[in-house]
Parts: sequence; structure tokens; C-alpha cells
Amino acid sequence: MSPIINRKDFLQSTVLNPGRIIWPEWMPRLAFSPAQVEPRGDTLVVVFLRGAADALNMVVPHGESAYYAARPTIHIPRPDDRRSAAGERVIDLDGFFGLHPTLKPLLPSWQEGHLAVVHACGAPDESRSHFKAMELMERGVSDEGGPASGWIGRHLATYNTGNPSPLRAIGLGEMLPRSLYGAVPASALRSIIDFHLSGDTKAAGQMQAALRVFYQGTDAVSRVGQETLAILNTIEALNPAGYRSKSEPSYPASEFGSGLQQIAMLVKAEVGLEVAAIDVGGWDTHFAQGSSQGLMAGLMSNLAQGLAAFHADLHAHQDRLTVVVMSEFGRRVNENASLGTDHGYGSLMLLMGANILGGQVHTDWPGIQAGQLFGPGDLAVTTDYRDVLAEIISKRLGNQALGEIFPGYTPALRGIAR
Amino acid sequence: MQLSRGEFLRLAGLVSASAALQGCAPLYANFAALKADAPMRSNLPSPAGFPALNRLTFGPRQSELHTISELGLHAWIEQQLAPEQINDTAASLRIRHLDSLSQDANALEAREKFELISELKQATLLRQVYSKRQLYESMVEFWSDHFNISVAKGDCWFLKVVDDRQVIRKHALGSFRDLLMASAHSPAMLTYLDNQVNHKDAPNENYAREVMELHTLGVHGGYTQDDVMELARCLTGWSVKTHFWLGDFTFVPEMHAGGAKTVLGEVIPSAGIAEAEAVIDRLAVHPATAQHIATKLMRRFISDDPLGDAPTLVSRAASAFLQTKGDILSVLRVILLDGLATQAGQLPQKFKRPVNFVASALRSLEAETDANHAIAATLSQLGQPTFEWPTPDGPPDHAAAWSSNLLPRWQFALALPRAEIPGSRIDLDHILSALPTNSPADMIDRLSHRLLGAALPAETRRELAALITAQPAVEPHEQAAVITAGILASPAFQWR
Repeated sequence: MSPIINRKDFLQSTVLNPGRIIWPEWMPRLAFSPAQVEPRGDTLVVVFLRGAADALNMVVPHGESAYYAARPTIHIPRPDDRRSAAGERVIDLDGFFGLHPTLKPLLPSWQEGHLAVVHACGAPDESRSHFKAMELMERGVSDEGGPASGWIGRHLATYNTGNPSPLRAIGLGEMLPRSLYGAVPASALRSIIDFHLSGDTKAAGQMQAALRVFYQGTDAVSRVGQETLAILNTIEALNPAGYRSKSEPSYPASEFGSGLQQIAMLVKAEVGLEVAAIDVGGWDTHFAQGSSQGLMAGLMSNLAQGLAAFHADLHAHQDRLTVVVMSEFGRRVNENASLGTDHGYGSLMLLMGANILGGQVHTDWPGIQAGQLFGPGDLAVTTDYRDVLAEIISKRLGNQALGEIFPGYTPALRGIAR
Repeated sequence: MQLSRGEFLRLAGLVSASAALQGCAPLYANFAALKADAPMRSNLPSPAGFPALNRLTFGPRQSELHTISELGLHAWIEQQLAPEQINDTAASLRIRHLDSLSQDANALEAREKFELISELKQATLLRQVYSKRQLYESMVEFWSDHFNISVAKGDCWFLKVVDDRQVIRKHALGSFRDLLMASAHSPAMLTYLDNQVNHKDAPNENYAREVMELHTLGVHGGYTQDDVMELARCLTGWSVKTHFWLGDFTFVPEMHAGGAKTVLGEVIPSAGIAEAEAVIDRLAVHPATAQHIATKLMRRFISDDPLGDAPTLVSRAASAFLQTKGDILSVLRVILLDGLATQAGQLPQKFKRPVNFVASALRSLEAETDANHAIAATLSQLGQPTFEWPTPDGPPDHAAAWSSNLLPRWQFALALPRAEIPGSRIDLDHILSALPTNSPADMIDRLSHRLLGAALPAETRRELAALITAQPAVEPHEQAAVITAGILASPAFQWR
């Protein structure tokens, strides 16, 4: 896969350029009855870092001398390394691990106990293929057998909250993430503010009437069409464009920032959102990855600013909200000759929410000294990503059907959530 | 179910006389039978021309339907397999003002970046909409996806223009080995997958992995992580010139790792640039490659699930690949002449990818389009920006990836007949000329045959006509626009 490109950011900067979207502090509640609308558990937001993010430069094991030996050029200086400017050094978390300096916006949530790191986690697949690894991870399966649907899709299918909202599950972007396959309803939304038939009002009205004639079937596409018509009505009732916020939101001006802001709006509007999935691309840093600054630092800055703004924006909702950040695998411990890193194995997850056991790095750390590495020189995996997801599903979402969500796997709960 | 020759000819003959299609409602009815987790199947025979053109071109044009009804589908496909014999002057005239088509890398690099990217997209879309060499353009699209390169990566914004001309278009119907070898030497590909910086001190594995996983063997093709690392060593020094002869391929001996390598169990003696070339030669004709390419071509032309729906045809296509050492035409003959042409009315449905949705609307309605910014922006909103797919797997080719994002399709469907897509116009008066009456029912029949190759189901037709009639004092032209928009947005038009 190729680094640097974030298709969505590229498009936003070059083609669409919608400018800043200002959202209201307060959104009206919709007319669903509370018993139906309230999900039984938290609203889950899943952020997928596409391209295999370099876990070792995000949450740095600065207590490992092997880390500095393996990465002479792209390492992040130790917290006490006086040869580097303070803003270029690791931000210490627990004396052994620390945050990349661009992740500094996440510190308040860490200090509040709302942010946890799960390190050296991942999946059993050792292919180091982005596409196979992402598919298996989003399906929540160990190998290519098993259901074609996604783990979120099966969570929703096995957990009837009686929620009739067409916005029960959404993917932000042009395509539905694989993890949401099998969920009904599940829709890909690019932009809530643009989610209407634009142009002449009378023509749009006639078009909706014609669409209701055509989309009466029970096939998959007809159902998507029916959902889309229902979402049009729901969002029309919200009138997202009609509100203006007095305070300038701190979301980054990126597709990711805008996406999180739209999720926050839906949470505040209580339209029955149970799961939202959003992707951030560009993490495949084979070339010119950078260290404290550079390509990957820019990606992390966007990630951290977005998550921090989302946390602050929804602070009053944190006890009913869980955010999971994940990636398909990690990267090689040694840097390559083009100042980047090749495909590795062990990765990390970030968890946010008031009921996450935060302020901790949860890990059975395998070490990265010679003899501790896995395969061609990679961080080992000591926590299966499904252990983490299963704990969130069972404790925070309230669904105990873990055998159906992760078929053929018995998760071990790690004590990462209340 | 296979059609007999006689049935086939009879059905193909029906296409020329659209009045004879009034009784073909079952085709449409079948579209609604799609199950959530299984591809829909048409079990009833239908006129061969329309579904075949829907699959082999960027959308059926009336002129092509007539040609098929005269020649027969088999002969039409044979014609398309020899594109150099097809006079394409009209399409050539539409793109001849685009300077980038003949500029070399040095001249391209001096162009304004976003203007050049727009030009590359425009040339591609104009050919897809207007070229008579439709199967060739479909294969250009197939290989552009297979050897995906995003213009947003580094110098690819100008290098891809050369790749499009010298790699993809040059070899699209030639030898897979030549295509693969050209791609491996393509500065755009080497840049996109970071091989231009692949250095002996610590090799960069990006291209070495993807050339086996995506371009040749497939993820189950039997290679290992060690093979990736050893091929990466063979590929050290394969780079791109940055100063004189900027944008040309170069092999830099000082970057190349010396010594023997072992790839796929075979020892490669130290031989500089010839090492990776030897591996690529082997990959090009490997049985796993034959299976991988045959399966992908079957997925493009026959079914989302080729191994489930037509395993025998996949095997035959893979055998043809192996026997001919990757002759693309020979593989296509098996898939199209022995497969598609014999059962064009019963193919499993394929959901139109965004480019097929947009292009088929333009082609079916004989649109006059510049295929420029408004079309490019539409394709971005639909999720398939031309030459901007970021990851090397290329845009997906199965229904589930595309079917959850209908609103932008509806928006395009609404805007096109209302002349609200800048640079694109359709002439509904012409399409609706010489109708028996100007009633909504007659307009609906004409437009549904044009766009779907069949009449609407009776109930849908009745409800739509009632809806149109209920609008008081609306001009017939306005009514025609609503009907066109509705059919373009309908579930049936989303399938090909």
C-alpha cells in the first residue's frame, strides 16, 4: 500500500473544498419515543487506521534500548533527551511507554482516566497483507472460512434494541466498511449536511415520490433505498444546515475531523445512533515516515486533534460512549533504508470513554530485544484484538452473544472496561 | 440454462424492434428478486444484446444493439477483440485537443498539476463514453484497476500519464508477461509502491509484496514473507531518474544488493537487473497467476462469485492462460465466447460500479458530454474517483462494496435530465420522438426500454404513470425528465 495519500483529505482539499462546517451546541431531539431510541449500551465509534499504523512510534516503548538501536533515524527521542527540543520528545506516560509528541492533545483524556492503550495486540493472521488482514479483522474471524458479514453487523443482528432508527449504524465515507456488512440498517453517509436531494424543490419532491414507487422491493438494494429515503426524512427534520454554533469547534479541518463532528451531532441529537465507523487512511509508511515531525506525525496530529475535540465536544455523554481505534497490523521494528518501515505484526488499540479503565497501558509486553521478536523482526502479539472488542461488546454494549460475533474464538477478558 | 443457437438468434433479433419487447417485463421483475446474501439470478431468457452490452461496454447504445441484432453477439465480440480494425475517428476527434496524450515525461512534468490530472481523467472518460472499441476500453479499465496507481502519490500525477499510454493501453489485449514487465519498469508504479528508493542497506518491501500478492500470484499463491524479502533484494536499485531524462526508468547498480537470492524455492544468481526480470518472467506464467487473473476477469465479466457460479469456466480460462503463456485475447475468448455469449440472458447480475452507472446513463441517453470536472466530481462522490483510488488493490468489483451509497446516484439521476450537470446534455425530445401519444405511459415505455432493455413491471408502470398524471399542469418535457430521473435512480438501473 502507499503512504502519504489520504484519498478523502486529498479530495477535500482539491475538489470539494466545503469550507468549515459550523455545528450547533445543541440539537433538537427527534420524535422517536425514548424507549425505542435509547440504545441499551454505549454508542460505539470505531476508528480504523488503514495501512497498518506504526504502533511503536505512536505509543513509544522509550524504556527499550532496542527501540533506539533499531531505529537510528526515525525514533522519537526519550522524554529526558536534552539533545532534542522538548516538543520533539516522547511524552512519558508510565516510565516505560510514552506518547508521540503530536498525540499531546490526548493527554487531558488520559489524565482524566478516559483513555487507555492496549499494546502488542493484533490478529492471528500472519500474511502481512493489508487486504487479507483488514478483511479478516473487520469480519472478526480467524481465517477465510466463517461468515462473510462483519463483526459490527453481527453484533447488531444479534442484539435487538427495538431501535427503528434508520441511523442505527452508519459508516462515514463513500463506502460501507466491511465491519458493518450484515447490519440492517447500515448506510454509508459522506456528509450529513449534504444528505438531501438538492436543486429545485418541486423536482426533488417528485423524485422522492418516484423513488418510493421504485423502491418497494424486499431485495438488499431496495432496502438500502428505503433506508436512504428514511434518512432523508430524518435529516430533513434535524435541519443540520439551519444551526450555527457560537463557539468555534476545535475539530481539525479534515475529512476525519468533519466525520467525527457529524457523529457527535448525531449523538447529541439522539437519533438512535448505536455504532459509527470511520476510516483514516495513509498509514502505510514504507517511505519517509519521519520521526517527531514528518509524514506520520501529520497523520497522528489529525488523529489526536480529532479524538480530543470529539472527547471535549461530547464530554457530557462520555459515560454512554466508547471509542475504539485500531489498525490491521503494526510495522517492522527495524527501519528500512528509505526512512520508513515495512509490514510488521503486533499493533495497538486506543480506547476512549468514561467507562474504559483509562490512564493505563494494558499490555503483556513481549519486548523487542533480539530473541523476543516475531517473524522477520516484528513486535509479537500478546493480546488478540477480539479480547478487547469482546469486552467492550459485553460490558459496554450489553450484548453477550460473543460466540456469534466472533465465531470459533473464545475471548479472554483483559479488564479494560467497567 | 444455456440458450440453443436458435433461441439465441430469435432473442437477439428481438432487440432491433423495441416494440417487440413489450412483453419482456419478467427481466425487470427478476431484478427485485435479489436476496440479501446471495447474488440474484435471472432464470428467464432475455434478449442477448442488452445484457451482453451492459457487461462488455460502458452501457448499451442503440447503434450497438442494432449491430448485434444484425451480426449476432458472437461476431460482435470477435469484432471487439480486434479493436485496431474498428474505425474510431469520432472518439479520436473528441480527445485530440488533449496535449498530454503525446507528451513525454519531461513535458508532462512542466504542466500544471491539477490541469494535467483533469486531462488524464477526461481522456479516459471520453473514451469510455464515446469509443467504439468498447471491449478494449473495458480491458483498459480492468488493467488500470489491477495495476492501480493513484495520481495523488508523489510524482505519479505526471508519471501515470505515461504509464496509462505505455503500459496499460499498449498491452491491454496483448501478452500478460509484457504487461507485467512494462508495469515493473514503469516509473509510476515504482514510485507508487516505493521501489524507487529500494536500497540494499535495508530493502523496501512494498512493491515486491504487492507484485506477488496483487499483480500475479494472489494472496494464496504460495509465496512467503521470505520470498517477499528476497524479491525485494532482487529489486533493489530499480528506480526512476530525477534529473536528466527525468521520469525515465533507471537501474542503479550502487543501490543493488549483491549475491545470490532465493525466490519461490529457486536460486537466483547475482545478475543485477536480470535477477528481478527472471523472477517476473516466472511470476507471469505461474499457475497461481493464471488462476488469479482468470478469476478476476471472470469476476469482471461474469459474476461476483466466479468460483461459486462458474468454476469450470474459471478453470478453462486459467488453462488458456497457461497454455498461451498469458495471451490475454485467448483468455478472453474462453470467458466471452464460450461463457458470456452462450448465456448472456442468464448471467448473474453485477451491481454497476460508479463509473458504469454514470457512463451507462450518458451512453444510453446518447448524451453530449465533455466528461470533464462535473463528471469527475460525481465519480468522487460515488466513491470511485478516476485514478485516485489510494490503495494498490484498486476499486472493488463486487456489489456489497457499492450498494450502500445510493443518494449520490439519485442526485446524478435527478440532475442529468434537468440539464443540471455542467458540460452534459441529453435530448429527451429526440429520444421521445414519434411516440403514439405524449401520455406518461408511452413515455415510460420508451424510456424503460431505452434504459433497462425491458418494460417496467405493470404495477410499477401504473403507479409511476399515476404519479406523473397527478401533477397538474406540468409540461410533457418536465414529465419526461421526472420519468428519466426515476428510472435512472431505480434499483433496476443499478445492475448490469
